[in-house]
Amino acid sequence: METIIVPRPKSKRDPNRPASGLLLAQIHHLHEAEKGLPPQYHSGIFYQGIQTEGEAANYIKAVTEAIHRAHDDAAAERTRPVPKRKRVIEIAAVADEAAERKRRTSSGAKKTAKKATKKKRGKGGRKS
Amino acid sequence: MPPGLDKLQHIVVLMMENRSFDHMLGALKAVNPAIDGVDPDAFSNPDAMNNPVKPQPLAAFQGQLSPDPDHHFPAVDVQIFGGATGPGRVANMQGFVASYFHQRKDLAHSQKIMYYFPNDPANGLPVLSKLALEFAVFNRWFASIPGPTICNRAFAHYGTSFGRVDMDPFDIIEPIKSIYTRMITATPKHSAKVYYYDTSSSTMEVANLLQHQTEQFGTYPQFLSDCDKGILPQYSFVEPNFSDHDSDEGEEVANDQHPDHDVQAGEVLIAEVYNHVRNSPNWENTALLVVYDEHGGIFDHVPPPPCPADTFHSSQVDPGTGLPFQFDRLGVRVPAILISPWIPRGTVVDRVFDHASIPATITKFFLGSYPHVSLRETNADVFIEPNDGSGNLANNLLSLNVMRDDCPNFKIRR
Repeated sequence: METIIVPRPKSKRDPNRPASGLLLAQIHHLHEAEKGLPPQYHSGIFYQGIQTEGEAANYIKAVTEAIHRAHDDAAAERTRPVPKRKRVIEIAAVADEAAERKRRTSSGAKKTAKKATKKKRGKGGRKS
Repeated sequence: MPPGLDKLQHIVVLMMENRSFDHMLGALKAVNPAIDGVDPDAFSNPDAMNNPVKPQPLAAFQGQLSPDPDHHFPAVDVQIFGGATGPGRVANMQGFVASYFHQRKDLAHSQKIMYYFPNDPANGLPVLSKLALEFAVFNRWFASIPGPTICNRAFAHYGTSFGRVDMDPFDIIEPIKSIYTRMITATPKHSAKVYYYDTSSSTMEVANLLQHQTEQFGTYPQFLSDCDKGILPQYSFVEPNFSDHDSDEGEEVANDQHPDHDVQAGEVLIAEVYNHVRNSPNWENTALLVVYDEHGGIFDHVPPPPCPADTFHSSQVDPGTGLPFQFDRLGVRVPAILISPWIPRGTVVDRVFDHASIPATITKFFLGSYPHVSLRETNADVFIEPNDGSGNLANNLLSLNVMRDDCPNFKIRR
């Protein structure tokens, strides 16, 4: 089995290299995709100011990860448990109880006031 | 059924950037005359002074093709037709030097568009050359359209570019679906994935795939891991690194081979992908296609043939050339190599292919058929015959009865 030696490139990374037409097209595509994302996922990067490969890579990373995050968040939202309906009934029941208590309280106060008035009349005669 | 086809379960496509067949593999004609490479005495291009410029084995890994040779539709039209625009014009591949001269108005520099890589270890392409000589090299794999990257890659994903020859975002036109959607929505469900290099490089197919179907994406490290664990999906499309940038792993050098990125970095990528597939538990049931999306404006001597027109005609009446384009002519020839331990050494394929052959092959092999495909895909040849009895076994490239045990290995220098 033959083994072929593969040399490593001698060139160094150059993020200041001017972005090619291909990269500029790619960031245009990503910008269009970014516009479709809710504001909280926007990169805040001015894409038309991008001139170098390094700048392009930063923008591409930001938007690509934002697209992934948006989809992941949407998927998580779909599987989030929906609050059960009985909470609504409970809230309504609590409201009913509060209303009943109020009604009882106010009718009890009226009875007490009536008794006090009767006692008063008993001492002094009819209500004038 | 030949065992190579019978056992096949995984197909991997690695699509590189912007280099022509003659530029990358032309020197191999001297090694194997069946490879339709460079004959410097039989082909030339006129320069701006009308002097003939012959191809020369002087291509450099980097620093030579600057500015980036024009590969947009109008420039490629000049390259193919030598500048002729009238009716009855003939594709003569005489316009490469003229097209490149137009960019810098430098006579000497314009001739570099005719340079190709020699077949020697120090200045050549040991990985691509070895793979071409060891496995199946395609003499007639063309870009799908005579134009730029986005549209040509669209043919690899959808079998069409929906009438587009430019680089702007495009909408999918229903009911045509990407090959990935076809696979994962089939019954029973199949598996397909796009592996991009990392999020700083991302994918070139943003408008429709990444934006709407993030679950179909993985990263290059995941591809290597999936190879090693033997859990590749049925269909994998691998994209190179399109830029120099920093990553969590350190400094990343672009390895897509798009001018003016270092070609040797791309050789390392191809070697790495091959090594992981080669050493995978799935090696005996995997086929790897290494192909380039388009020629990048660099010379090639073979005129692209006409082809059946696509479902979609050009959405522009004049795509910049003064003439309408009916998607009835292929783009310039690109390197394409199919790798499998079931392919005889030295296989050379002369049938015509383009990138629509990719979804055509994947669909027919894994799904049998799909009702909504473009006319270009319908008419595209397949590079792997279906193993359900419907294929043409005379065209089968995985033809060995015994799996090879002499496939090369690449040792990448540290």
